[in-house]
Amino acid sequence: MSAKKTVKSKRSKVTPPNPPLGKGGKKEGVTIHGSVKGSRVPSRILEEQIQRAVQEGARELHVVAQGQHGIGGRIWPRSETVKLTVEGPVGQRLGSMGMPGTEIIVKGSASDDIGWLNCGAKITVLGDVTNGAFNAAAQGILYVQGSGGARCDTMTKHNPRFEPPQSWYFRNVGDSFAEFKAGGIAVVCGVDPRNPDNVLGYRPCVGMVGGTIYFRGPIQGYSEKDVRLVELTPQDWEWLKTNMGPFLEAIDRSSYYKELTRSSGEWKKLMAYTPQEKRSRKWFKMSASDFRKNMWEKGVGQGGIFAEYLGHDLTLLPYITTGKDRRNKPVWANEKYNPPCAFACPTHIPSHKRATLIRQGKIHDALELVLQYSPLPATVCGQICPNLCMNACTRGRLDRPLGIDKLGSLALELAAPKKESPTGHTVAVVGGGPAGLSAAWQLALKGHTVDLYEAERKLGGKVELCIPRERLPHEILQKELSRFGEIGVKVHLNSRIDRKKFEEIHGSHEIVVVACGAHKPRGISFPGSEHSISAYDFLKRINSGNKPALHGKKVVIIGAGNVGMDVASEAYSNGAGSVIAVDIQKPAAFGKEMEVAMSKGTQVLWPKFTERYDNNEKKIYFKDGSSLDSDLVVVSVGDVPIVDFLPPGIHTEKGWIAVNQIGQTSDVKVFAIGDATQLGLVTHAIGQGRIAAETIHYQLMHAPRWPEVKQVISYDRIKTEYYDVCRGEFASPEKEADRCMSCATCRDCHMCEATCYWGAISRVEHKDGSYEYVVDEDLCIGCGFCAGVCPCGVWEMVENV
Amino acid sequence: MEPASRLDYNHKLSLREFPYIVRWRDDRCKRCGRCTAVCPVKAIESTVKVQRLVHSEGPAPTPSAARKVIQVVEQVTDMERYCTGCGSCTLVCPNEAIEPEFNFQHKFYHYKNKGGEPFKRGGRRNDPSVSTLDKLKFTRISMLTDPALDAGRHEFRVRTLLGRILPPEELPLKTVGGKLTVDKESRGFIPPVREIYPIMIGSMSVGALSPPMWEGLAMGVAYLNEVEGLPVVMCSGEGGMPPRLLRSKYLKYFIIQIASGYFGWDEIIHALPHMVEDPAAIEIKYGQGAKPGDGGLLMAQKVLKLIASIRGVPQFIDLASPPTHQTKYSIEEAVAKMIQSMSMAWGFRVPVYPKISGTKTARAVLNNLARNPYAAALSIDGEDGGTGAAYNVSMDKMGHPIASNIRDCYLDLVRQGKQNELPLIAAGGVGKKGNLAANAAALIMLGASAVSIGKYIMQAAADCFGDEYNRCNLCNTGRCPRGITTQDPKLYRRLDSDRVAERVVETFKAADVELRKIFAPMGRSTELPIGMSDGLGIEDKAMADRLEISYVC
Repeated sequence: MSAKKTVKSKRSKVTPPNPPLGKGGKKEGVTIHGSVKGSRVPSRILEEQIQRAVQEGARELHVVAQGQHGIGGRIWPRSETVKLTVEGPVGQRLGSMGMPGTEIIVKGSASDDIGWLNCGAKITVLGDVTNGAFNAAAQGILYVQGSGGARCDTMTKHNPRFEPPQSWYFRNVGDSFAEFKAGGIAVVCGVDPRNPDNVLGYRPCVGMVGGTIYFRGPIQGYSEKDVRLVELTPQDWEWLKTNMGPFLEAIDRSSYYKELTRSSGEWKKLMAYTPQEKRSRKWFKMSASDFRKNMWEKGVGQGGIFAEYLGHDLTLLPYITTGKDRRNKPVWANEKYNPPCAFACPTHIPSHKRATLIRQGKIHDALELVLQYSPLPATVCGQICPNLCMNACTRGRLDRPLGIDKLGSLALELAAPKKESPTGHTVAVVGGGPAGLSAAWQLALKGHTVDLYEAERKLGGKVELCIPRERLPHEILQKELSRFGEIGVKVHLNSRIDRKKFEEIHGSHEIVVVACGAHKPRGISFPGSEHSISAYDFLKRINSGNKPALHGKKVVIIGAGNVGMDVASEAYSNGAGSVIAVDIQKPAAFGKEMEVAMSKGTQVLWPKFTERYDNNEKKIYFKDGSSLDSDLVVVSVGDVPIVDFLPPGIHTEKGWIAVNQIGQTSDVKVFAIGDATQLGLVTHAIGQGRIAAETIHYQLMHAPRWPEVKQVISYDRIKTEYYDVCRGEFASPEKEADRCMSCATCRDCHMCEATCYWGAISRVEHKDGSYEYVVDEDLCIGCGFCAGVCPCGVWEMVENV
Repeated sequence: MEPASRLDYNHKLSLREFPYIVRWRDDRCKRCGRCTAVCPVKAIESTVKVQRLVHSEGPAPTPSAARKVIQVVEQVTDMERYCTGCGSCTLVCPNEAIEPEFNFQHKFYHYKNKGGEPFKRGGRRNDPSVSTLDKLKFTRISMLTDPALDAGRHEFRVRTLLGRILPPEELPLKTVGGKLTVDKESRGFIPPVREIYPIMIGSMSVGALSPPMWEGLAMGVAYLNEVEGLPVVMCSGEGGMPPRLLRSKYLKYFIIQIASGYFGWDEIIHALPHMVEDPAAIEIKYGQGAKPGDGGLLMAQKVLKLIASIRGVPQFIDLASPPTHQTKYSIEEAVAKMIQSMSMAWGFRVPVYPKISGTKTARAVLNNLARNPYAAALSIDGEDGGTGAAYNVSMDKMGHPIASNIRDCYLDLVRQGKQNELPLIAAGGVGKKGNLAANAAALIMLGASAVSIGKYIMQAAADCFGDEYNRCNLCNTGRCPRGITTQDPKLYRRLDSDRVAERVVETFKAADVELRKIFAPMGRSTELPIGMSDGLGIEDKAMADRLEISYVC
């Protein structure tokens, strides 16, 4: 609020609400007594007397008060000034609601709340005022010759229609001065103050939002959040000097004019902060960072209480981070995992790579690749294998698996691959069945010198001896065996190995691989079992050209596994009238063997426990009391290996050669694989041959590691969504290769690169033609979108440690 | 390897069983990956979906099919990666494209017990209903009847006393030459007493809290004392105190906790000769509101160099705090010998008091303490107390509400005429709905001398996401997305200790104003209205009767 140079009471032009009652009143010298004949006049009566006197024309009233309330207020404005002089003990709220034109002089001290809600009266007190003087004053003037009590000038305000109220205190004011002051000018001259140390009392200006206080003399604090203490401006000083004269004159202290106006430096001003100033004020007396720097770390040490234990920067990190600050990071784990097909295949033939090569137009390379893994792809993959790879194929979860069997068949005409240069190492393989062939093939490819000993006159083991030609056309096997011949393995046919021969071989070779198979049929004993024939012998005779005469005969097979199914098929092929396979439990047969047998009419019954066979009746009896007509009983409950040639140093368990995971026996230079260790599929035998050969190769070449088998990728990482359902049969290798989902192997589709919002992924091509996708660590935030969109599950997210 | 002929939805959980369902908006998402990068539990991930549309446009059926593979953000249906609803994804999403939504029908608790391990979590009791504390109203508003005070204008001194206050006749005083002096020959003991702010920061350990969180709180407390003149104190929690703080002048604003694991105490004892100040008090923890009757376990992976050094243990080992102190066999013995030992460590200059979880047996403990001249207070942590890690069953179902527990104890003291002697400290759910000052005032008027806060300050000062709908509550996992309860620098470096300190200051200053707004109309400005229950009312007759306060409606 700016200071005004002059202030005078405004006279309102408003007509008085009530016309004067009469005109007979005297213009001057009216005296009203607050006490009549020793009896106090009630405030109400005194008020009526004053109002009546004014209405009757009195303009100068003298009131001799006796503690009456509210004397001199509410005299409605008129064109003339109404003057009241009051003496005697005045009551509270003298001049309250005083109007412009009213002038009150109190000859002595006044009581509480003088000038309360003043609306324009000029009140002069020639003494002190007590508590609450000028409370809620809105206009008018209060001159005080003495000092003010507590809570003076509280809640004063300034109505813009009028001049602001003024209060002048010659000496000092009491506590809680100017609380909630919203406008008006207060002047405290500080002459001879009652408290010489504090002219404004305790805690002035609490809640003050407007107005100005000029004061002179010492103070002890004020509400700093509400007001500020400033020097007077020249305008302030001018106003003060101008208005000081009339004030001092009114209170009869003109002699102080010189002292009070001698220097503006003796005066100070308190003014309320504006709302804007309050709002823009800093919340904190000291910022937290200043507190840390100047106080906290001075007390506890540089870097704070934990600095000595923290090995990282003490700076903040955002929520989205890059580089080493990421929580997770992507890794282009190309070929880190096996696809389900390669993992399921005991030989781990990487069919997905064949598809990749085909997609690259390298069909020959693709077909040839399989020969690095198996000597008999057309025989096994293409014909007799139940194709565990295809069962596992991810594509099968969408429509049908990749025709991996067909890819195997297409390898039939291929020549043997080129072998490595000779290593000079010698290995003996005992047994020319699939396991032995596989091991010998792998070892020979790697350049080792291999001697293969086969008891029979032909290679092939059970594939040659027992698998029905119907299921495996003999020319396919022969073709592949002739390719085997190209690899340079020294094959010793008709070489049945006994203990002595084994010792000799053992002595003359660095490594011996026992792949003797299981060629001793397991029998079961029941009355009449001597009239039965084993499946092994039954099938072997047929494959060696010795076909049984079964026209119209009834055949019962005990044991409904896959071999039992082969027996059934062969029995039908040889003219059997009916074939029934029985088993003590749910038959284990599956795949093509069962399909063929069932298509020919084979019946399967279970559970059936054989009691006896009556060769005369040609009847087989079961423990449940039932019986079947049976001209021929074939027992198909498996075969066990013949291991009598092994020295005691090679441990066997229940007739099987005991091996560890890599096919090694208790004699470290002897490995055992295939059916000699445990009955399995031909594909298992091929696989074990390859794994054992790889291990042996590492061992011979002193490689400081074992071959490892990659873990399989989980199906949910392969995004089948990219592929449309595509039914129909195998059409061409090219079409089939397009169907391959390339599990765990990058198909170079750029999805990751296109997806990355941050542009963190790029494809880098190397000089050798290979490529990789790389991550710019400074751009990557570790969101995993690359992993989320990769069709092949190549990207994986790992903890960024 | 899983079989190729897979089952499809067998035993797969539907998203409807999950407590929070992530609402993701395809039309808004720009696939920037911020959400999946920030998700603390990997509950969302990017994947692809195929959309197939068959349409026919000709005048006769002429079908043509179009496929589109799109990239989406998907919520996983793995209970081990359930969405906790923390909303970090929403926080970082530039497009408001993602938001977890609470699912009232969830069956989370039915499933969250993999491997036979019951659900463990942080936070507090998952009960979002209005607590008794929030139902209490301040019904005595003096305008003309009492000396009405003005919260803004009058000077207030909101303080309380921590420590045993002897009645005048028991003080070892004598008059010498007309002046009162301490009678040093009487061998009488004047218990240590601290004048503190009636809201204190409760025990949260170094270890439970991240370095910036703990230090932020500590700095805030120091600031309040040093700059604002508000004597707020903070309890260390079990797990020791950083030696730098132990040896600093700021130690006087801290209450050091000792609990059944005694972690960090040998380091504290080693620091004793170097202390330049006494701590504010010693708190002996016998129980806590969040997991009454249960102990704690700090997993080895959280015991890194910082924690190991401060606790005085090797790195990478599990740290078990048993549910009970191992050498204490009765109330008398347990309390007496612990209080004696801890008092002795600081020459009987420091108030020592036990903290128990809210329990029906609180009065038994109190009555024991009332007879123990060295007992400085009793702190009771009600069922709504929060914690860093506990079994859900302990948190949700165990313990006692603080209101009637504190009231019973106070009235017991009143019956013994000792209500001004032994201060009660109330905790557990103070500020649960954000009404810090109101809850504190209510507890004070029910009889507490002070209240203690934990979860509230995490929320107010460090933006903790946790709430009573089990939002976030990952404190036990070390994956706190706000960096409050983790020892992983990648997470806790998100938290600015200066900012935490600032918020502590703001929170306490605001609470101070609110306390004045509550106390002023009751005419209290210099003395805390402890037990002034005639100022309280509640719109529930049974609660009113139970608390012995007036029923209002």
